[in-house]
Amino acid sequence: MKKYLLSGLFTLTFFLTSFLLTAQTPSDAIMMKKNEICFAFVYDQGKWDQYWEAPNLINNENIGTFTRSTYAPMIAYGITDKLNVLLAAPFMKTKSTGGQLAGVQGFQDINIGVKYEVIKKDFGRHRVSALAVAQFVTPMTNYLSDYMPYSLGLGTQELTSRVIGQYEFNKMIYVRASAAYAWRGETEVERPYYYANGSYYTTFMDVPSAVNYQAIIGGWALKHSLRAEATYSILNNVSGDDIRRWNMGQPTNKMESAQAGFFVQYYFRDIKPLKDFSLMTAFSQVLKGRNVGKATSVSGGVTYQFTF
Amino acid sequence: MSMKKILTGSLSLILIIASITSCENDLPTHFPFTAYEFSDLDEDGGSWKPILFANGSSIVIDQPAAVNSAEYQAELATLKSASQNLNGSQTNAVEYWTNNPSIRWNEIALELAAKYNLIPPPNPDGTYTLPTAANPQGPPPFPFAHPPYTCRMLAYLSVAQFDGLITAWHYKYEYNRPTPYQTDNTISYAYKRNSLPSYPSDGAVIAVVSRDILKAMFPLEHDYLNALAEDHLNSLMWSGSNTTSDIEAGKAIGAAVKTAALARASTDKMSAAQAPRPASDAIKQAAFNRFGWSWDNMESPVRPVGLAPLFGQVTMWNVPNVVDVRPVPPPAPGSVEFERDAEELRSFAKKTTEKQRKIANWWSDGLGTYTPPGHWNRRTKEYIVEYEMNPLRTARTFAYLNMAVMDAGVACWDTKYYYHYPRPIQTIKGFKTILGTPNFPSYTSGHSAFSGAAAEVLAYIFPAEAESCRNWALEAAESRIYGGIHYRFDSEVGIDQGKKAAKFTIDKAKLDGAD
Repeated sequence: MKKYLLSGLFTLTFFLTSFLLTAQTPSDAIMMKKNEICFAFVYDQGKWDQYWEAPNLINNENIGTFTRSTYAPMIAYGITDKLNVLLAAPFMKTKSTGGQLAGVQGFQDINIGVKYEVIKKDFGRHRVSALAVAQFVTPMTNYLSDYMPYSLGLGTQELTSRVIGQYEFNKMIYVRASAAYAWRGETEVERPYYYANGSYYTTFMDVPSAVNYQAIIGGWALKHSLRAEATYSILNNVSGDDIRRWNMGQPTNKMESAQAGFFVQYYFRDIKPLKDFSLMTAFSQVLKGRNVGKATSVSGGVTYQFTF
Repeated sequence: MSMKKILTGSLSLILIIASITSCENDLPTHFPFTAYEFSDLDEDGGSWKPILFANGSSIVIDQPAAVNSAEYQAELATLKSASQNLNGSQTNAVEYWTNNPSIRWNEIALELAAKYNLIPPPNPDGTYTLPTAANPQGPPPFPFAHPPYTCRMLAYLSVAQFDGLITAWHYKYEYNRPTPYQTDNTISYAYKRNSLPSYPSDGAVIAVVSRDILKAMFPLEHDYLNALAEDHLNSLMWSGSNTTSDIEAGKAIGAAVKTAALARASTDKMSAAQAPRPASDAIKQAAFNRFGWSWDNMESPVRPVGLAPLFGQVTMWNVPNVVDVRPVPPPAPGSVEFERDAEELRSFAKKTTEKQRKIANWWSDGLGTYTPPGHWNRRTKEYIVEYEMNPLRTARTFAYLNMAVMDAGVACWDTKYYYHYPRPIQTIKGFKTILGTPNFPSYTSGHSAFSGAAAEVLAYIFPAEAESCRNWALEAAESRIYGGIHYRFDSEVGIDQGKKAAKFTIDKAKLDGAD
């Protein structure tokens, strides 16, 4: 099972940064066995040169092409065969080609997750599984969330609960769906007043909570050394205000995105010196959004896994 | 998992959610204060010198009916019934408006400033369409409530409120009509009792004058402002404050003051402040010929005209001539003094501490916000409540504050376009900032001039707060350097310019009879 680890970690990180539209694959149906540990490192680069101001897709030459680079070290560990913990600590850099605003860099949010396998049932060569995931996120540094679009993150605590269901045919092709709700708190900003469809006399902004729905079709090839998935994902804040005309966004915005993605992972199981390693790559494109960039993301990563 | 574990897990989950979402619904949308007892009634306030009128009796208000007249007794009966058995929204209105409603109208003005402080976007062909009062819907909508627009808006609002209340105070103490609850002790009064005569209603003056000044300044907000004023006027009866004739007399004062204020506004040359391209180009060329430098807008597409190039010619309140407060030229780009301050900017760009970043953002008050004049009005409002000022002294405080702030703004804008000094992003190659660079020349810093002036007025009115206010002004000035959008000399000279401009207003205030 060790070869299945990466996308779970990947999801953990990128769901949390997904308002930045670097979201990749959703949580998967894969569990690590007891005392298995996996280290992963993923690099992701998201770029956009258009963004949705409210529902209107616009260009802004004072931003030009915006780039967000994420370097995400991650760990996953099997406490039992049915209970895994996941940890990620992404470092980010932002910049743009237009205008004079400075990009920023630093550690974003620490992500801690637990994943529990509720059901795993085989019917001949088919398998049904259901999982529950809880994730907690909190900023690692005092980055300024109120510096959109350059800010590293939303600067708030977040608690996500997710349910996942998967059906695997013939141990070759699988379909999976997941639904999640992310409760988000407030972010402290550095100005004593802001406007969000009205005045707010406070340094705190209410960051809207969000729902996430994902549908995946995936499959195995090359004797289970190669895994590929196609993903469609929706991440919508349940409340919030729109970016006003030609104004900067802020963490109170109602961000929405629908994106499609593709993910491939290759395990070196047959190459002795590399048997504990895998490589992965992913691509995703935001198709439709609101108050977010129309981002194209490309990622690559490596995993190393062993049993204690 | 055992049932116990599941229960424990669920419980901690709920606790985490609760802690994350606990304060989500109580973020303050207005200044949390309630009606308070005034520290003084300023019974001689009717003799103070108004700004737009000769004196407190310039507007004529007739003597009211006697308290024992059938007419007034009928009004009392109406008031008694109107102030009983309030429903939820009526009770909320009474609590919201308080016995010092200028605070609320000032806050409404700041909210509209923030709502309309949006820079016009480029058209698809790279041109820009500017907001115009002739077509307020736009797009873009009118107004663009930038700092010059907002400081002027606040000045007219506050001056009109002040003159209206001097007039109200004059007639209150001339006619001495007791409060409704003094005449009929079965009438309840929602606020702290005092001996301020009730005719004319000071609240009605404020409701009408504020509504009408703001309607002139924000033509797309008529419905919103009419509804607010109606709620406010109704609250005067719901709270047991005023009878119909008190309110009508207050409305008459409000209407007369509004007319005078808007007459001044229509001829103060603000409508010409956003100069057309040829005039703007001529101003730039004149500066280049004089000094050998000029400011360029660095946006893409380039904005062909800076913000309000002729705001420096708008009629000032108390400074006789704008040239009186125009500072010496800034150091030439490339000079030793310039290089010293440019080097400081480079060093901040390389390493901004969290404290510096916070100061830059705290005072940023940029697009989409209530602007620096709004920030100082907000602080002033807090002092007014802390010092338990009555409505008249409140209006005086806002009036002198906002006249001085506007005069400082006019002075600063005159300087900006006279010297036409380039911004750091223009003079320092590859320079990046953490604040957006505004669309007007660098020298002097507007934040600094506004803040220098505001702090001096507050230091005069609240002497015990003088040091804090002046330190905040210095911090506001410094914030622009941390933000990368001003040189130190812009900020230092800006503070000084603001102080000098404010002195004319403070000298006038000292003679108005209130001290």
